[in-house]
Amino acid sequence: MTVPKLETQQLKKQHTPNPGRKEKSALTKGLKQWGEVFPFIIIGLVGAAVFVIYPLIKGIIMSFQDYNIMPGADSPFVGLENYKQAFHDEQFRYAVRNTLLNTVVTVPINWILGLVFAVLINMQFIKYKITFRTLYYLPIITSWIVVAFLFRYLFADGENGLINYLLYNKLGIIDEPISWLQNQWTAMVVIWAFHIWKTVGWTIVIYLAALQGIPKELYEAASIDGANGLKLFKNVTIPLLGPVTIFVLINLVIGAFNIFPQVYFITNGGPIGQTEVLQSMIYKEAFNNFKFGYSSALGVMMGLTIFLITWTQQKKIGRQRFF
Amino acid sequence: MYTTKTSLFWKSVVYAVLIVGVAVFILPFIYMILTTFVDNAYTLPRPSEVFSVTPNLDNYETVWDKNNFFRYFLNSLLIAGVSMIGSLFLGAMTAYAFARFQFPFKEFLFRVFLFTMMIPVVLAIVPQFTVINSLGLVNTYAGLWLLYIGGGVVGSTFFLRGFFETIPKELEDSIRMDGGGNWRIFWNIYLPLSKPALGTMAIFSFSGTWDEYFVALTIIKDEAMRTLPIALMMFQGQHASNWAWIFAASIIALLPVVLVYIIFQKQFVKSGISEGSMKG
Amino acid sequence: MQKLFSKLLGLLSIVALLLVSACSSSDNSTDKSSGDKVTIEYWHTYSDQEEKVLKEKIKPLFEKEHPNIKLKLTRMPYEGLKQQVIAGVSGNAAPDLMRMDIIWVPEFAKMGALKDVSSLKSFDEVKSSVFEGPLATNQFDGKYYGVPVNTNTKVAIYDKKVLEKAGVTEVPKTMEELAAAAKKAKDAGAKGGITIGGANAWGVLPYFWSLGGKLTNEDYTKIDGYVNSPESVKALEQLIQWKKDGILSPTILGGEPGAWDGIKKHEYMMLDDGPWFYSVLMNEEKKKEDPLEYTVRGLIPEGPGGSRSVIGGEDLVIFANSKHPEEAWTFAKWMLTEEPQKLMADTGLIPTNKNAAQDPEFLKVPFVKEYVDQLNTALPRTPIPQWSEFEQVFNLNIEKAIRGKMSAKQALDDTAKQGEAILKK
Repeated sequence: MTVPKLETQQLKKQHTPNPGRKEKSALTKGLKQWGEVFPFIIIGLVGAAVFVIYPLIKGIIMSFQDYNIMPGADSPFVGLENYKQAFHDEQFRYAVRNTLLNTVVTVPINWILGLVFAVLINMQFIKYKITFRTLYYLPIITSWIVVAFLFRYLFADGENGLINYLLYNKLGIIDEPISWLQNQWTAMVVIWAFHIWKTVGWTIVIYLAALQGIPKELYEAASIDGANGLKLFKNVTIPLLGPVTIFVLINLVIGAFNIFPQVYFITNGGPIGQTEVLQSMIYKEAFNNFKFGYSSALGVMMGLTIFLITWTQQKKIGRQRFF
Repeated sequence: MYTTKTSLFWKSVVYAVLIVGVAVFILPFIYMILTTFVDNAYTLPRPSEVFSVTPNLDNYETVWDKNNFFRYFLNSLLIAGVSMIGSLFLGAMTAYAFARFQFPFKEFLFRVFLFTMMIPVVLAIVPQFTVINSLGLVNTYAGLWLLYIGGGVVGSTFFLRGFFETIPKELEDSIRMDGGGNWRIFWNIYLPLSKPALGTMAIFSFSGTWDEYFVALTIIKDEAMRTLPIALMMFQGQHASNWAWIFAASIIALLPVVLVYIIFQKQFVKSGISEGSMKG
Repeated sequence: MQKLFSKLLGLLSIVALLLVSACSSSDNSTDKSSGDKVTIEYWHTYSDQEEKVLKEKIKPLFEKEHPNIKLKLTRMPYEGLKQQVIAGVSGNAAPDLMRMDIIWVPEFAKMGALKDVSSLKSFDEVKSSVFEGPLATNQFDGKYYGVPVNTNTKVAIYDKKVLEKAGVTEVPKTMEELAAAAKKAKDAGAKGGITIGGANAWGVLPYFWSLGGKLTNEDYTKIDGYVNSPESVKALEQLIQWKKDGILSPTILGGEPGAWDGIKKHEYMMLDDGPWFYSVLMNEEKKKEDPLEYTVRGLIPEGPGGSRSVIGGEDLVIFANSKHPEEAWTFAKWMLTEEPQKLMADTGLIPTNKNAAQDPEFLKVPFVKEYVDQLNTALPRTPIPQWSEFEQVFNLNIEKAIRGKMSAKQALDDTAKQGEAILKK
């Protein structure tokens, strides 16, 4: 398994293809490379293929079928019928609008809050770091369903909900209790707030882990050059967090698109279907209406959308070297 | 050190921001805990009632004795513990393969991985169940572990690759000079230097399986082998739910995750690449 | 690094210890099938009290009478139950039989997941021993895909204190009296009069039907012309008028206080609910007041359509892939006989077996009389496979109408149009 030191440099240069090579040697080289990576990658590949990719392919096939879940039952192919159907569905329009809105609103807030809190906690003079991290992480590790019900209860209308109680009875900021979940936009605000509350701890934890990895020497060198706190942050921290930021953003987008318990358990799409999102629609079409084909088609369309939205970021993965 | 310049004023501002943040995160939990002290919460108690409760552990005791709660608690500990360790090793190995090696179709494979994370597969459980079934692993923890670890590899690879990419290649040189190979680089460079990432991953993995409900309910058929989230859901009745019980059960369920969290984050607070690279 | 691994190893060993203990004790629960003893698996969603009777009385009794059958009871959580059934059915891992919500039976029957029981031995005997209404919920395409194991409905429940304050001395018998009483209660300071659980079929139908509304024709084949008939429009308009008059509790649009909360705190005058209102609240450990004391029950007040409540309950179904359909049927039949029905009735579940329901012992349970009476006129939700989908459309339109986004006529016309399309599938 001994590899000469030279290879490290060779590997780096690989992005520039060498047109002079013969095909045969490329093949043997490829095989050799696979031989090296094989022991590390094989179990992961098999696991992913069996439990992730195979179900995914089945799901994609299903989206072209009028699918019947009974084993051995006939599931005729219907072409693009399931896909076309979506565009005549009023619920689908609401779902797309709300899913996109949720992404546009929550991803930037989530990202900025996560980054800021991580940087603040990571400051050297801060004591009780562990306590802060643990407290910020609590929402993540609580069961979705339980905290969703908790939020519905906090935002209950009248004076029975804690939020109204605080804003109206205690602080007197509002003139009358708000019926949070009974109006489209206030319900949406609750959903967004809940989504951010539940997931921002994740961003904080990722960034904290990344910040731990930045060599302190880099800061020291920069501060000797006269950089102040803000400049240090801009010139040292932000660029070094690059690869992690891509990871965070892609995951935040995926998370925002997959918003489900936030809606399903808090408003269940109400009032009058105006807070419905794609995932809750996918769920209902499958398990309430038994339209598995249609439901899968919605899932595929959603996945493709996320894939395209994050395309430019994906390209950067694996290309960045900072040290 | 660059931080010594920070003035007292800015220090207090930072602390104030952090404490406000904590308040927002913790307030719902405090309210939740207060609710667990209420008797007969089949209807959700009102703020005035909640704020006037006397702390007691009655509901916690009731919950602990109900729905095989303790039994399921142990089961969950076992399931989440093993899946966590398995996911950690498999994820680290696969991510190492993607971060450190060049091979044909690498980026293509990685894109496929990414793509799978983005598509919600409605009935994924059915083909997954079929595989577990054909292996004869229905109603075993082995089946559940296989599914959790195998199904989680995509996410953990994506996560760890980003961190592995930031490790300087030059660090490998010393190992190579000693005549060490890829495995030694993996063990002696990548794993130790990624402790923050691995610790984070461990927590994600643990809390992910700890909270998982649907797959566990599908794969495990014996009531005695079920997991904690199932017990939690049992408190939710068809016609009425006792919210004090549900919240009390959730608080108990939170504790092990908090514990795992504290154990693993101590690891990654202490270490960092800079120190690690010194020790080399 | 060493530390991390020693920690991991420590964790691993704890886990291994747990594994050993888990395995050794789970061995006890796996059945050691001796000889030709058959185990049938039964999924249910009974509550705590009901499960206790099932485990301690029903199971031993059945196994004593049928020594060759072993009953494996699995209690399922209610949340996500339908998903579990679907996963079980399509993965060939469904149980032998299940106690299933009555409105699911036609849709699973259509899917082919359930076994037709009408051709099985002595089905006719079972058929004649149970009430017709609940039995009808098992029908699909002229065949029966299950048998009713217990039934329920909702009656009107009034808060005595609020009635007293409003100066109402008698429980309202008609919808006009109900509205008048609610008006008085509101004027006397109650937060709500008529408490409808939500703008959905289960909540609204008792009023919609009693006020003269209809969903479909007699044999459930036509929606257009029924759900949007002039009578139906009038019924919905009446509800909207009540909303405008402020005599409906905020619960219909998801407002607070919740229905039970409002009654418990003597803020609402009336709600409609099933027997679980009593069985749950009476079993509270440290209750301040007994619901039997502070409430009084009556039938759903009569309107142009009569006194129409909505039937709920569960059916016993056998899955098509059951490996022991004969034994499962033996159990299903047995569950519908008098004795087990009486045993389960102790918990407040209303028997479907006619003899058990007439049993004087059962009628002594303090709150059941009104429920049994109400069942005579209660109606099932349309027993069609497309019910869940139709219900969504119905709920959405009802909510729009009550919120004033649409007129009653528009809402019901749209329900009819979409409903017909769903029915054709």
